[in-house]
Formats: sequence, structure tokens, C-alpha cells
Amino acid sequence: MNIYRLATRRGRAALGATLTVMALLLGAGSASAAVMPAALHQGLAPAAVGAVAPAAASDAKGKTFAIATDTTFAPFEFRNGSGDLVGIDMDLLRAIADNQGFKVDIKSLGFDAALQALQSNQVQGVIAGMSITDKRKLIFDFSNPYFDSGVQMAVAKSNDAIKTYADLKGKTVAVKRGSEGETFANSIKDKYGFTVKALADSATMYDDVKAGNSVAVFDDYPVLAYGVSQNNGLKIVTPKEQGSSYGFAVNKGQNADLLAAFDAGLANLKASGQYQKILDKYLAAPETAKQTSFFELLANSFPALMKGLGMTLLATALSLIIALVLGIVFGFLKVSESRVLRIIASIYVEIFRGTPLLVQAFFFYFGLPQLTGRPLDVLTAGVITLSLNAGAYMTEIVRGGIQSVDPGQLEASRSLGLGYVTSMRRVVVPQAVKIMTPSFINQFVITLKDTSLLAVIGFAELTYQGQQIYASNFRTGETLLIVAALYFIVIFILTQLSNALDRKFNK
Amino acid sequence: MTATPAAAGAKISVRNLKKSFGSNEVLKGLEVDIAEGEVVCVIGPSGSGKSTFLRCLNKLEDITGGTVTVDGYDLTDPKVDLNAVRQHIGMVFQHFNLFPHMSVIQNIMLAPVELKKLDRAGARAKGMELLKRVGLSEKADARPASLSGGQKQRVAIARALAMNPGIMLFDEATSALDPEMVGEVLQVIRDLAAEGMTMVVVTHEMGFAREVADRVIFMDAGVICEEGTPEAIFGNAQQPRLQDFLAKVL
Repeated sequence: MNIYRLATRRGRAALGATLTVMALLLGAGSASAAVMPAALHQGLAPAAVGAVAPAAASDAKGKTFAIATDTTFAPFEFRNGSGDLVGIDMDLLRAIADNQGFKVDIKSLGFDAALQALQSNQVQGVIAGMSITDKRKLIFDFSNPYFDSGVQMAVAKSNDAIKTYADLKGKTVAVKRGSEGETFANSIKDKYGFTVKALADSATMYDDVKAGNSVAVFDDYPVLAYGVSQNNGLKIVTPKEQGSSYGFAVNKGQNADLLAAFDAGLANLKASGQYQKILDKYLAAPETAKQTSFFELLANSFPALMKGLGMTLLATALSLIIALVLGIVFGFLKVSESRVLRIIASIYVEIFRGTPLLVQAFFFYFGLPQLTGRPLDVLTAGVITLSLNAGAYMTEIVRGGIQSVDPGQLEASRSLGLGYVTSMRRVVVPQAVKIMTPSFINQFVITLKDTSLLAVIGFAELTYQGQQIYASNFRTGETLLIVAALYFIVIFILTQLSNALDRKFNK
Repeated sequence: MTATPAAAGAKISVRNLKKSFGSNEVLKGLEVDIAEGEVVCVIGPSGSGKSTFLRCLNKLEDITGGTVTVDGYDLTDPKVDLNAVRQHIGMVFQHFNLFPHMSVIQNIMLAPVELKKLDRAGARAKGMELLKRVGLSEKADARPASLSGGQKQRVAIARALAMNPGIMLFDEATSALDPEMVGEVLQVIRDLAAEGMTMVVVTHEMGFAREVADRVIFMDAGVICEEGTPEAIFGNAQQPRLQDFLAKVL
């Protein structure tokens, strides 16, 4: 329980009410986007420079480390138009890995998922714009800080009524669940009399403001500044609050070589000026990006979406094959004469039909590795989830199909002296298959659509790729339309094909 | 293989046969011996247990109590190979139960081929011979759905004969047929009787029972109420219940 609470987002406990007052004083006038990089540069702890020790780097040299990160926390990590992970964290990590001669295998999981993956040793490190907090230090070891953050407030571009916290009286503001913005908003909401609404990610939050459901957002300033530069339809109206520092984390007492290499590499990059270049790339004097046309959006996002569609189809195909086997096995158990076997099959069906697919996905990806100590990759966990879930429904389809064949068919076959297995194989099953086929096609479509739920565990299927795209370009509506159209086209083609095969073979 | 207390020479021997569905006792201790070549017709009102009795003879129903011995096999012995016993007993159902996904000839060939009694060519030749016997040679490759009721039942009889059984069981074989088709099916059964096949025929066709039966059994409420030659049963009924039944159906 405690562990889970610690795993919430960026530094819930970092800011108290007293800090807020200090921050208001210290941060006054410091946070226009243009001056940010300079401020950052000065804000960084210089302690690491002295600690550069080439010897420390050699421990990590040549090794490959799995590093988890958030799915979208622009400008720290997000996917560009061609689906590649970029951002300050990503560029920094890769540059440090280069500098120190180790390799990284970056897993884009989502913030909570990344921390859970680290705790279950599925990855060796996490870099995800994560604040260094005392609570987190209890379970993680942090690198030297590589970025100093802080919270700002933004409102819709057209909104001239809200300029200060005092203008929020009686209104609703959007925050990102578990973020520093949420902590800060909660710390001042009573004083200024507004309501806080917690949402899952930045894009949703901005959409909520643009839709008028909330009047303002509180978010980390680099995130907001980047969003504004990408035409997210907002404008920043308050100065930056004093915030916490971001660090790279490993499990406490583990992977000291990786941590040392990170610190050494960071110091080297700072000394060479490469660090500053990376920050400038995302934050310095952001030019307002030109809004591209729908067709340009389509063309730009197409490669990433096709990659996602491929993963969707792969997961669907694998899951359906396994689900079919499970459905046949348990379906036959359900119609067997043995009470025990029938009960076993019923338990399986009830468990997987009686719990949400989403909970099952979380369990197999996060829960099971923590129980067994053996990490599962996201495709495996996703396929296991979908197979077992679809298998439960397939079991019922198989049972229903077999039971809908006239019992006289089995009797006639048995009366000829044919055994149970032969009778099922030659007489009952061929007729049951014909009855089951439409339900199979239906389940196939459902499973294909259910793959979209795997986006939450960071499986890079179609919906996930769509989320990645609108998280960095903030064009939610158009992107979701494209994603939905792709699902529709694929499902339409596949169902027409299935129905044609059904007609051909099940005359 | 040991035929326990069965009567010597009996093809089928039923001793104190009881059958219950839950708490409902459908058969209440039947005693029947059927000799080789004998044609026994079972008559009686609906729900009297005729069909259940028939279905106990090849153990399509689990037997609650008593013994059924067929061709020397004790069906109530858990070690008995039911599949082997059933190859000696052909059964014809009220609703034909033809396999709709197979052609007529495939229906007939299924058991001989699956049980490796014959190769495909041999099974087909034998199947064609049986079809000729029931007068349906030209329907060999038709689907059951395209046949009339009478034709379906004749195919079902041919299928039941494919394993060369020594016993044939008919469970109201003409009850589901349109009246004009009853005759063609009864003719096939009549021919089988003439060839000396041991048969147990559950039927509502009293005229037919009178004509082909060596013995008629009248069942009512799970017991054998009266049995005897067709002449005795139809001409000189003793029990009021049989008299009552005959008054209604004749």
C-alpha cells in the first residue's frame, strides 16, 4: 500500500503551504519561456562535476540497461511524427549512454507503470521527469539533479478574465493526477476558493480547458511552455513557482554502476556544453509551430499509426489463436460428464468474465512480476491478458455451440458403436463449428478492439500511437478520428472476409 | 462374456430392469427374454416407458437397477466395452437423426470406416448395397435435407445396418412421418423381419404389430402389463388397461 502511494506522480509532498509563499517571493518574474534555459542552467547543482571519475564509468561500459520512462511528458519524453521517442530526458539519456559507453533499451510505459516496472525489476532505471523527494529516496537512489522544475498556471488563449489565482474563485482548474501541479493547486485551493479536477495526462487537461470544463491548468512550466509553443491553445498567466529537481532513479542499493555512469556522463555533458544544447533544442526561444493541415497531419502520423496497427494485429492474432485453444479445451470440459472438470472450466470462465480486462492487464503486467519476481515484456503480458479473457468467452461460445447440436446426433453416433471422441469429432463438432462461426467472428472483432486497452500498460498499438501523437501536437480530435477510421477500415475488411469464408465453408 | 442368469438361447435377457430419472421411476422391474430371430413389438400409451426400455437395451440410458444381457454381454458391468456391444445392435430413431453435414452414403459409411471394419471403397460398396435394399440408390450423394421423411428413415435404417448388427431396435420409427410415407418404411422393416433379424419395435402402428410381431408386449406405467402373441393381445385382451388402450387406438 505504502509503496503504491509512493509511486504516484511527480513529488506530491514536495510543496507545502509555507514553501508556496517562499516560492512566490523567489520565483517572481523569473519564468518567462525565453529566460528559462538560463535560469535552469544556473539552477543545476554543480556538485556532480567534482565527482567525475572515469573509473566509475567502466563498470557500466558495454552493458545494456533497460530504462523505463513516461509515455508522454513533453518536452521530456514524447514521440515525434515518425513515432520515435524524443525529448530532453531521451536526448540526455542517450547522450550520457554514448558518453559513458553503455547501451540503453528505453521502455515507454507511463509514469506510474515505469515506477512499478522499476520496483519489480523489469527495468534497471527510470528517467521520467521525476522529482527527487524524500519519500522516493526511501525506495530509490537518485542521480544528481539534471533539471529544476516548477509549477505555472495557464488559461485558454482567449480568456482575459483569469490573470491571478484570486480570479479562480468559484471556478474549476485541471491538474495532472499525482503531479506537482496537483499538490500546488490543492495547497492554495482553500485560500482562493476554487475546485481541483485531476485528469490523467497533459493533453486531456488542455482539452478540458479548451472545452470550457475547467478555466485553468496547473502544470510543470517546461511542459506548459512546450505545449504553448505547439499551439495547444493556452497561454501562461502566472510566474513560475519554486519547484523541485528532476533526477534519474534506480532501485535503492542496486545498479550503482549505472547511477555512477549517469552522474559522470551528466557532468561531462555539462562541461562540454552539450547539456545546454539539448535543453535549448526543446526550450530556448520556442518558435510558434505552424498549424499543419489535416492531410499533413495524416501523412506525418501515418508511419507511426501503421506501426501501431501492426502491433494491434499481431497481438490480436496471437491472442485469438491461444484463446481458441483455451476455448476448445475449457468448452469441452464444460460439456464433459465429469462434475469436477465442469467446475474447473466454470471457475476459469467466471474469473475472466467477471473481472475487467483492464484490471487483468494491470495484474499480468505489474502484479504477477512482483509476485513471481520474473518480469514479463509488455507484448507477452498483453497477449496473456487478451488470450485468457477472450478464451473465457470462447469457452462459452464452444459450450453453447456443442450444446445447440441436437442430442440425437450424439446418440445416433454412439448407437453405431462410435466412441465419444470419434462421435464428437466426426458428428457433433462439425455441426457446432457452423453454429459457432458467427460468434467467433464477433469475438474476433471484440478482441481486436480490446487491444486498445493495452495502451495503458504501454503496449505500442494503434490507440497508444494515436495518444502519443496528440500528446505532442495537441490535435486530439483529428488524431482520434484517424485512429477510429483505421480501426473501422481494418475491422470492416476482416469481418467481410470472415463472413465470406463462413459462407464458403459452412454452407 | 458370461451370460449370467439369462435364459439359455436368449439373444436379449432383461432381469428386474429399473430406471429412474431423479425421483421419477420410469421402469419398475421389467423381465423380458427375446430369442434370436424373434420380432417383439412394444405398445402402450405415451409415458409408459416403452422408449426408455428400448434405450436401455443399448445403454443409451444409464441403467438404475437390474441387468440387461445382450449377445452374452452384461451391459451393467462397468468393464463391458459398450462400443463393441453397440456394433451388434442397430438403432433407428423417431426423428431419424441423420448427420446433416454428410451425404447419404457418408452417413452410412461413417461407422464401418471409423471402426476400421472396411476400407473406404469396401464401405462404399456395402453402403450402395444397403441403399439398393431400401430403394434409394439414386440418393447416395444427396444431402439428408433434400430427402422426404420416409426417405430419411430408410437411409437411417440402412445406416443402422451398416455394421451388420444381429439386433435392430426401432423407436417409433414411423411416428414422425406423414401418413403416405409410413408404408415405405414399414415395408423395409417387414423385409428385415422376413430375413430373420432379431428386432424390438416400439410402435403405434397396431396393424403392423399384429402383422409382423411374433410377440407383443403391452407396457403401462413402467411395467409389462400383458404380453403374448398378436392374436392373444389384439383378439383376447385380458387386462382392463390393455382393453382400454386398444379401444382408444383401434
